[in-house]
Amino acid sequence: MSDTIELLEAIGRNATLRHASVDELASILEQAKASEALKSAVAAGDSSLLSEEFGHQPNRVPQITNAPGHEEDEPDHDGDDKPHRPPDPGHSPPHKRTPHKQ
Amino acid sequence: MTLGSHLTPLARSHIEQADVVFAALSDGIVELWLQRMHSDVRSLQPYYAEGKSRMVTYRQWVDLMMTEVRAGKNVCGVFYGHPGIFAWSPHKAIEVARAEGFKAHMEPGISAEDCLYADLGIDPGRFGCQHFEASQLLFYERRIDPAGYLVLWQVGLVGDLSLKRFSTGPAYRQALVDVLSADYPLDHEVIIYRGATLPIQKPRIRRMALRDLPGAELTAEETVVLPPGAPLKQNPAMRERLAALDKEASIA
Repeated sequence: MSDTIELLEAIGRNATLRHASVDELASILEQAKASEALKSAVAAGDSSLLSEEFGHQPNRVPQITNAPGHEEDEPDHDGDDKPHRPPDPGHSPPHKRTPHKQ
Repeated sequence: MTLGSHLTPLARSHIEQADVVFAALSDGIVELWLQRMHSDVRSLQPYYAEGKSRMVTYRQWVDLMMTEVRAGKNVCGVFYGHPGIFAWSPHKAIEVARAEGFKAHMEPGISAEDCLYADLGIDPGRFGCQHFEASQLLFYERRIDPAGYLVLWQVGLVGDLSLKRFSTGPAYRQALVDVLSADYPLDHEVIIYRGATLPIQKPRIRRMALRDLPGAELTAEETVVLPPGAPLKQNPAMRERLAALDKEASIA
């Protein structure tokens, strides 16, 4: 059986495969000896069927709050809802002597 | 962001060259893909919890990354889509790292917004385009321009002041519709969009009337788009001023 992650990556990076019809992709996956879960997911148009192979629960997705006031808890901050100046790109305070790491 | 399709060569190189990789991804399978690129991928997913403020979670993420940075490690944080769009921790981690004298930078990615323009055939330059985290329209008095596109993010959890929930419900979406109805008729079309995360998926695109939005099933990762609801209105005074400037320029 072919590796499902490798097959998914191969589909994702190939212009023909990425936009192939369900029938075309099913035929290719059959030839590639894809897992039953992947073949089922493609045939049904339901990627949740892949969870049978990997057993994943859905991931949480929010990565931001919904109000600026929640985000800053620094005591000296003036006004929670004001837009914050973005950090100066590429510059760190000159008095700091911590070693740089990249 | 789609597995296999949307990771830039440079972003991949950062992942491969890091000492440790932290991952906040929208799909467990994408996380498995990431693990093929690096032997030390640490998921940030376990830090979420129902009933726990997401702000606490986001701060924990920053602390986790900074602990490794302070230990002298080359750290790469991998966030789905674009790490700087609708994501608090990546900006904060960079800010903190720089403040402590470390080099840090953000590598752009392909976000849901980018996919949305392609999949819906929208050009934000044509009529203009406003983006809001949906709750901001409820918590604050914002000015909507119905002559342009309006894109609302995280409508599935609109109105959650607690930061402890991952979804709200129809009554909250009804409050959003009530706000929007000041600028749009209730039969105005709304588009509910979700991009493809796996390359075997198609984008999910649903269209409905604004009045039906409260009853629609909506997840946190889905985005609501309102096409323009009013024509562009000419500004005759400014056009006259510009014509005068053109005239002056041609005389000169």
